[in-house]
Amino acid sequence: MDQFLPILLMVVLASAFAIGSFIASKMLGPRSHLHAAKVGPYESGIAPRRELAARFPVRFYLVAMIFVIFDIEVVFLYPFAVMFRQLSTFGLVEMASFAAVVFIAFAYLVSEGALDWGPGKRLGSRAGAPVTRSLNATVRRVARPGTPPSARPPVLVEGASTGSGAGARGLDPVRAGASGPHGEEG
Amino acid sequence: MSGGTYLVAAGCTINDITGKISGLCTAKGSIHISINYPALVPFFVLGGGALVVLLLSAVLPKRPYRGLWAGLTVAAGVGTVVDGLVQWQQLNGSSVTPVTLGDQLFYDHMGAFFAVLFGVATVAGAAISDGYLEREGLDGPEPYVLMLSCSLGAVLMADAAGFVTLFLGLEILSISLYAMSAYHRWRAASGEAGLKYLILGSLASAIFIYGAALIYGATGSLQYLGVVSFLADNALFQNGVLLGGMVLVIVGLGFKVAAVPFHFWSPDVYQGAPTPFVGYMAAVAKAAGFAGLLRVLMLALPTLESTWRPIIWVLATLSVVFGSILALVQVDLKRMLAYSSISQAGYVLIGLQAGTAQGVRAVAFYLFTYTFMVIGTFAIVGVLQGRGEARNDLSAVRGLASRSPWLAGAMLVLMLGQAGIPLTSGFLGKWVVIEAVLGQGQYELALIGMLGAAVAAFFYLRVALIMFLAPESPGAPAGGAVTLSATGGPGAATAGGGPSDGGPESSEPGDSGWAAGAGRAYSGSDLQAIVTAGLSARDRALALRPPPHTRVRVPAATAAVIAVCVVFTVFAGVSTPVLSWAHAIALPWSA
Amino acid sequence: MSFLAATGLAIGSAWALYGVGTALVLAGALGVVLLRNPVHCALSLVTTIFGIALLFVDQHAYFLAAVQIIVYAGAIVILFLFVIMLLGVDRKEARAPENVRLLVPMALVVGAVAVAELLALARLQYWAAGAKSTTQSLSGPGSDIQKLGQTIFTSYLLPFEMTAALLVIAIVAAVALVRRRSQPPPAPPRKSAGALRHPARAPEAPGAAVRPAATAGAGRSAAAATRSPAAAASTPKTSNETREGRAVS
Repeated sequence: MDQFLPILLMVVLASAFAIGSFIASKMLGPRSHLHAAKVGPYESGIAPRRELAARFPVRFYLVAMIFVIFDIEVVFLYPFAVMFRQLSTFGLVEMASFAAVVFIAFAYLVSEGALDWGPGKRLGSRAGAPVTRSLNATVRRVARPGTPPSARPPVLVEGASTGSGAGARGLDPVRAGASGPHGEEG
Repeated sequence: MSGGTYLVAAGCTINDITGKISGLCTAKGSIHISINYPALVPFFVLGGGALVVLLLSAVLPKRPYRGLWAGLTVAAGVGTVVDGLVQWQQLNGSSVTPVTLGDQLFYDHMGAFFAVLFGVATVAGAAISDGYLEREGLDGPEPYVLMLSCSLGAVLMADAAGFVTLFLGLEILSISLYAMSAYHRWRAASGEAGLKYLILGSLASAIFIYGAALIYGATGSLQYLGVVSFLADNALFQNGVLLGGMVLVIVGLGFKVAAVPFHFWSPDVYQGAPTPFVGYMAAVAKAAGFAGLLRVLMLALPTLESTWRPIIWVLATLSVVFGSILALVQVDLKRMLAYSSISQAGYVLIGLQAGTAQGVRAVAFYLFTYTFMVIGTFAIVGVLQGRGEARNDLSAVRGLASRSPWLAGAMLVLMLGQAGIPLTSGFLGKWVVIEAVLGQGQYELALIGMLGAAVAAFFYLRVALIMFLAPESPGAPAGGAVTLSATGGPGAATAGGGPSDGGPESSEPGDSGWAAGAGRAYSGSDLQAIVTAGLSARDRALALRPPPHTRVRVPAATAAVIAVCVVFTVFAGVSTPVLSWAHAIALPWSA
Repeated sequence: MSFLAATGLAIGSAWALYGVGTALVLAGALGVVLLRNPVHCALSLVTTIFGIALLFVDQHAYFLAAVQIIVYAGAIVILFLFVIMLLGVDRKEARAPENVRLLVPMALVVGAVAVAELLALARLQYWAAGAKSTTQSLSGPGSDIQKLGQTIFTSYLLPFEMTAALLVIAIVAAVALVRRRSQPPPAPPRKSAGALRHPARAPEAPGAAVRPAATAGAGRSAAAATRSPAAAASTPKTSNETREGRAVS
């Protein structure tokens, strides 16, 4: 039981620190009369009736939940590690089957992209976008000024340029500012 | 094969009944237990099937072959059925119930019987889900993985020899069902059903495990046989803890089977969850819950029989009465079937109340035949409701006899089976249940059961009558919504507006024009008045809407499942092989 | 005198840990139920868990006490806090009091009935009659974690392996329900003339794309979306996809 004395001491110290800093900030901090108008964000003077919830990707929650599951798996490893020698092969096989089953679930998880981070997946690649107008798409993809010629989307216009400040020749005359034929649609 | 023997190194002492090892085994030989692998085959098949599906979905590209996941699930289900039958054959020689795998598992006839039941439910559930999921646009292997693991949990519950194993089976079953209930991501009702099931189900599981802990505290053992031997050797003069534990365990398992004071989750979950999953859930969760209840009450706590039999008496009565009466006023088919399923659970509880071998036989037979009936019924409802589960109310079956005679005939047989009309398995099921309680002198319970069957017959026959109700109206409904066509008959070419296009959910008030028009036009007909008796005015209008006039599309697998269910319902009603199998299960109690 | 003090101290110290643990559990439980701010409730839950860990220590189950804190307070309460953060229920506007007027009286009645049932079970006398071995502390050589290891991997091998199945379905259920699919696939083209009566309109579904799966409103917009014929659905779909792509980054 006395090996828990340090833990108890740490609990006491931590609470003392927390309570102490709370009291100290109350005593030493500025006494301001907290008015709702002073504390709220200033937006053109109109007080918002209700705060909107910030958009919160649910990916965070998924990571936390997967963490719990693998945490439980790890917890089972502790007694196994302690009894490893006594359990020898039999124990190894049963622990390996347990770990293999959870690993298959992990493989499924990774393949579903549940643990992927980074910007949202681009649904539909750039290369697949039609470069000429058709019945379904009237938007023509053009390169931004300054992109190297190798990165430009292919343009099926005769005399395709090798690149200039304004981009490929297939650039909309409207965009370039010139008054082109009005048959072109933006 | 006697389980419970441990091959250990020197220095350990093992308690044979509870399996506790005391003392540290320091010799170099390993400690291990003997494993009876044939007992584990259903787990390997179902669990392995789930893992294979998961692994394949991880490595194959999305949507590899149509019906791959369903096919693998059906294969696993067939494997379970075959293994159950093989296990039955192998066990036919011995009469003792061996406990195996560290005293955690039973390897006996009851386990084999329920393995066959769950395997059949898995095959049928996967077959009817395939068409439904494709129609709704929900792809992915997850429903099948969850279905296989749900069956795994169910087999675990039926084979469990102790409370820990029973609890684990209960949790595996329940969590799979929560996820399956919430699976339809474009129906708000589905998410609501999943959430309600999750919250209430977790509460019930917590109550169950607390009861198991109290029983452990009172008897010193978590295994059923340990509990029985302790209670046989010691008479507890103050058994408050034991009684409290028993009651909490009954509550927890009663929730699972939707017995009446604990049934409130059932209508909402049945209504909201995807229809084939509801059929699967109604069969598997009920059978698993009853298997657990059977083992706990009849195997672990037979000495407390005089205490738990009145409790089960009350639960049975309430379930039969409330289930039958509340189903009378439902217009939504799935909700009505939920209440009907509550009343069927009441009948099984009547069989359990008998507390004898006859009661066990009745319970097993009723559950087995009910599986086929309920999966068939939900398969038909799933086919009729249209995309997005647009039409779940009685108007969906209206005029089915002219639209699709085979489907109407199948629904008729299944409805008659559930009502308990002679020549169906439902009749035989109710017969053996009532016979079991009459053998114990419980005349009031038998009377309640028969009256309940008479009341319940009304709403089953109502469905049957509506199927044969002609969809033509005597006169054109005046005014009302523009979209209501003149006859709404099957041959009408104009779009009927809402229902066939996946229109508003049937729970909405709908167009008031329809209701007003329908009320005015149909108020004279006697048959319609009889058929919609008991419904509120709004529900009456809903029920008498013209049916969707698109052709009923029945996928091949679903049609096969419906056919098998119908044939079995009649077969089990006129012949006795299933009854003799159920009788073989009850042998240990016929001493 | 000193003998009395010594025995008093001995009895007191035997009960001290139990008393402190119980007090923390009850205080935390009351806090979870009665506090207004959900984040405060989650922190009260941590207090309860700590109290339960103390009770485990009192029973000489040190490993379980540590696991309780690691898994429960360290992971599960974090999950609770994530959900509170996701749903935003800790904002002042969301913390409306319950509408059910009879809630407190009903709770009091049910609580009184429960206490009465407990007293009836106890018959107001000794009611902890049961097997003797379960009320002692662990016997035999070896620490608690060694005994736990022995029992888990021999007698309770099957529950152990079934726990693996439980973990698998938890993962599968989580991934299946959280998957981002904003819009149901378009209905197959219908032969009846009615299909063209409904104009193709952009579904109100983009909000559903970023909300978690089980929210209301998805069903309604799905019903609206399924009415639009197949041909016109591709345009709303691409605009929806770009909206979704922007929103989830």
